[in-house]
Order: sequence, then structure tokens, then C-alpha cells
Amino acid sequence: MTTEEPLLEVRGLTVGFPTVDGLVKAANTVDLEIRPGETLALLGETGSGKTVLGMAILRLLQPNTRIEGEILYRGRNLLSLSEGEMQKIRGREIAVVLQNTGTSLNPVLRVGDQIAEAVTLHRGLRGGDAEAAAVTLLDRVRIFDPARMAREYPHRFSGGMRERALIALALACEPSFLIADEPTRGLDAVTKREILDLFSEINPGRSVLFITHDIEAAATLAVRVAVMYAGEIVEIGPVDAVLSSPVHPYTRGLLASLPERGMRPIPGSSPSLITLPPGCRFSPRCTRAVGRCKKEHPELVEVGPDHDARCMYYD
Amino acid sequence: MPGRSVSFYISLGVVFVYCAVALFAPAIAPFDPFAISGSPLAPPDAAHILGTNDLAQDIFSRLVWGTRATLILGFLGAAISVALGTFGGIVSGYYGGRVDEAIMRFLDVMMTIPSFPLLLILTIFFRPGIYMTAVLMGFLGGLQGVRIIRSQVLSLAVADFVVGTKALGAGDGYIMARHILPNVLPLVGVKFIFSAQHFMVVGIGLGFLGMGDPAVVDWGQMIQRATQNGGIILGLWWWLIPPGLAVTFLSLALAWFGYAFEDRINPRLQVMRV
Repeated sequence: MTTEEPLLEVRGLTVGFPTVDGLVKAANTVDLEIRPGETLALLGETGSGKTVLGMAILRLLQPNTRIEGEILYRGRNLLSLSEGEMQKIRGREIAVVLQNTGTSLNPVLRVGDQIAEAVTLHRGLRGGDAEAAAVTLLDRVRIFDPARMAREYPHRFSGGMRERALIALALACEPSFLIADEPTRGLDAVTKREILDLFSEINPGRSVLFITHDIEAAATLAVRVAVMYAGEIVEIGPVDAVLSSPVHPYTRGLLASLPERGMRPIPGSSPSLITLPPGCRFSPRCTRAVGRCKKEHPELVEVGPDHDARCMYYD
Repeated sequence: MPGRSVSFYISLGVVFVYCAVALFAPAIAPFDPFAISGSPLAPPDAAHILGTNDLAQDIFSRLVWGTRATLILGFLGAAISVALGTFGGIVSGYYGGRVDEAIMRFLDVMMTIPSFPLLLILTIFFRPGIYMTAVLMGFLGGLQGVRIIRSQVLSLAVADFVVGTKALGAGDGYIMARHILPNVLPLVGVKFIFSAQHFMVVGIGLGFLGMGDPAVVDWGQMIQRATQNGGIILGLWWWLIPPGLAVTFLSLALAWFGYAFEDRINPRLQVMRV
């Protein structure tokens, strides 16, 4: 599988948001590839740059955002495409399941009509055909009585149902690449399990970037996992390797903070993305940090088969 | 809330009656509003139920025909104003940045000019008929409307569902028409009703000041004629009072309807006014 051309390749992606307090460095030289048909989980805490990365791929960040680097999709650099070309890719080639289920559907439009929209935009279906396609999609994401629910407004949907509707929306044009931004956030355990099952069911052969802070969900769905910290990928590799024998102290800390593994929190809190610590960004919180960690910025180095980490100890 | 609901239907009914009178004016009015129909300054009698004016024109007929002019001024002006305000507000709020800045600074300049005197000057300049007056009022009123709609659109433009629709590959025009517009429509509706009320009164004011369209009958011109040709001094109440009452009731009904409508579409107001 490693010999295959990646479907999407992110190279040296740096994203900055200018603010009155300074430039917020939300992502820093991120390198990432997503291979055909694989699910890559992007793990990290709030503010680590996961969503920014997803939105940068779709070029949906604010216009004043500073973006550098390359995002190659099937060999084309998305960052140099025109807005018109980008619109043809959004929804049809690359789709996203947004993270806020409560606000991601238009409250004044019927759910069925919103799903029909996606079908109309790219598949050219109109009227009754588009409606029928919307009902089929709702059925596919296991919404009970899809024909009736398609005519309802979003406020009649529960959180889990909205998540399903958003998934239906994203699947409308059978995109080859799906970005799922924390699809299990805010759901109860049973609903979460159902949504994860739904994901494994709808995505055979599809490449998925699964953004989450839920390690368990990542372990269930992903083939590979990337861990982000303060806008950088600190560890990336096969899901078994990263989760069973983590290399980076941050990944270890994350796993140790799980309830079933002792619930030991990582001391300190994430750095400000405006004034980042010199050297390794995790060094102020790292129990193993030595003098060199505070001065030099580590690079991603290979620590095992298909497994990289950004830590001085492996340099 | 039954009380609010009653006011909603009563005011709607009154507005409806006015519209019907305007629509069927030729059938309702017994005389041609411009024709000499009897003796001048006659008090009400069986033939002229509101008497006649100094030109021996039937006042009731003039009142009925005047409804047309007033409603056309109000509703056409409001339609233009709301269309302009909605379009400008959506474009300004959605695009933001330089587009927004340009539109807002232009509005700042326009808003320093008092609008009624400006309207008077423009009216004299263009020597307008009733439709031109409606367009001018609509244009000046629409400038104010831009801000109201824009303030709503500013938050809608960054809403998650707008980002989501962009992520589906929709363009800006599509998003503004299909996702932003339906969200501001209730506000647009309320604005339309209050604008209509406002423009009717402004239209009557213009008529009273002698800027009315001489080819049509309107209540403002009726009141002006009555005051200037001795209606008050001679105590000819049937000349002056009816158009005054007609405009008062219409204006009240529209305002009442506007408030009731606002209540209906905004559940928060209902809770607050319990």
C-alpha cells in the first residue's frame, strides 16, 4: 500500500491568522499524505490545528489567512486553483462533515432540501429526482422514516440525527475523499458507537481524514494515526504502533490520560500559538526534556516502519 | 397570546379594507373625483355624503380615489426600499472587507443628509409623478435598510451552515440567494410593513407641501387644498377631517399590524411581552 500514489499530499503547510495580538501560527510545516482507501485519524486536543488543517484542504479559511506550502490532490495543487475550479472539487471530490452539528444545517430550510442541494449542485438532478436522491441518502445513513424526515426542519432532529444528516450531505456526490471533523463530539456512548459503525459501513474504498480527540474512535476506524500538538504533527504511523508503543512523550501523555490507563493528566497547558516556545513545542510540559529540547526544534524522524516522530531522543 | 392575535387580525382586516377600496375605487366612488358634481362647498347630503370642496368636486369620491395614490406610494416605495436594503445589506454583510467598507462609508455620507429635505429637493428637481416619488422615497429609505439587514447578515455569513454549503461547492451568489435570504426574510417582512406606513405618511406630507402629482388625487393634496382655501377658517369639517382620519386609521393599522407580525415571527418578543 505504501507504494501507491497518495490521494492527497500536504507538503510544508503553514497556516497563520493575523490578529491584533500577532500572527496565530495554527499550523506549521505540516507534511501529511492520505493514501487511497485509507482512514487516517488526526488526533489532538482543542486548538492543536486539526480543524484548520481540514479547512485548509478545502480552502475554506478566512480570506486574510496566510497559507504556505502545497496541498496536492491527485497531483494538482489545490492552493493554486481558481475559486471556480475549487468549487467543482468541493462536495464532489472532497467533502466534509462539519463539527458543530447544531449549527451546520440551515435552520430555515428543510433537511431534505439541503441534501438535495448537494445533489443538484454536482449531479445536475432537479426537483423530484433530487428529492428522491435525498431520501435515499437519509435512508443510507439510517434515518428512520427518511421520506417524512426529509420534509422536517433541522430543529426536529436530535444531535445524532443531525450528525447523520450531515454525513448524508457529505456523501451526496460520493466524494473520493471525506474529511470528518469530530463526528462523535457531544454524542452519548450509544449514539457514538452507531455513528462509528456507520462510518465504517459507508466508507469502503474511500479515503477519510478523521479528525478527533477521541483515541478510542481513532483506534476503531483508522489505519494510520497522526498526532498533532500546537500546529505540528508530532507523531504519525500505523494505528497499532502509535497507540500500543507510542514514541513521542506527548502521545504517551495522551494515552496515560485515558481513564482506563490511569487518568494521569499531562502537566501544564498548550502553548499560545502566537508566542510559541523555542525548541521543541512540547518541551515546557515534557518530563523528559533536556537542555537541547529547549533550544533546537526537532524534525520528524523515522522511528519504525512507516512510523515517524518529532523528538530529540530519536534524532 | 390571544390579545396579540386579535390585534393581528383586526389590523390586517383594516389594511385589507383599504386595499379593497383602492382596488375598486371606480366602482365605489359615485362621481369622477375631478368633475364638478354639484354646488361648491356644499355640506354632506344624500348625493354627496361628505359634501363638496371649493371646486364642487365630491369629497367622498376624492377620498376613495386618494386611497389608491396613498397605497401605491406606500407599498411601491416600501417594495423598492426593502429590495434595495436587502440586496445592499446581504452583499455588504456577506462579502465584508472592502465591499462592506465602501458601502458603509457611502451610507455614512448619505445619512448625514436629512432625508426629508433631500426628498423635497429631489422631488422638485425631477418634477415627478407618483411613481417617481415612490422610487425616490424607496431609494432614500433603502439606504437606511441596508444597515439593518447587514447587521443580521454579518453573523449569518460566518455561520457553520454557510461554511458547510461552501464545502458542498456552492458559489457566493447561490449561498446569498438560497441560504442568507430566507434567514433575513422575516426581518424584511417587518421592515416592509413599517416602511409602507412611513412612506404613506411621507407621501401625504409631500402632497400637503404641494409636491404631489397633480394628475392624481391624494390625501395630502386634499388636506392642503382644504387648509389653503378656507376649509379651517370656514369650519368646513367635511373637507378637512375625512382625509385626516383616513390617513390616521391606515397608519395606525399598519403600525399595529407591523408589531403583531413582529411578535409572530420573533418568539423571544412574545415571551418578553407576556
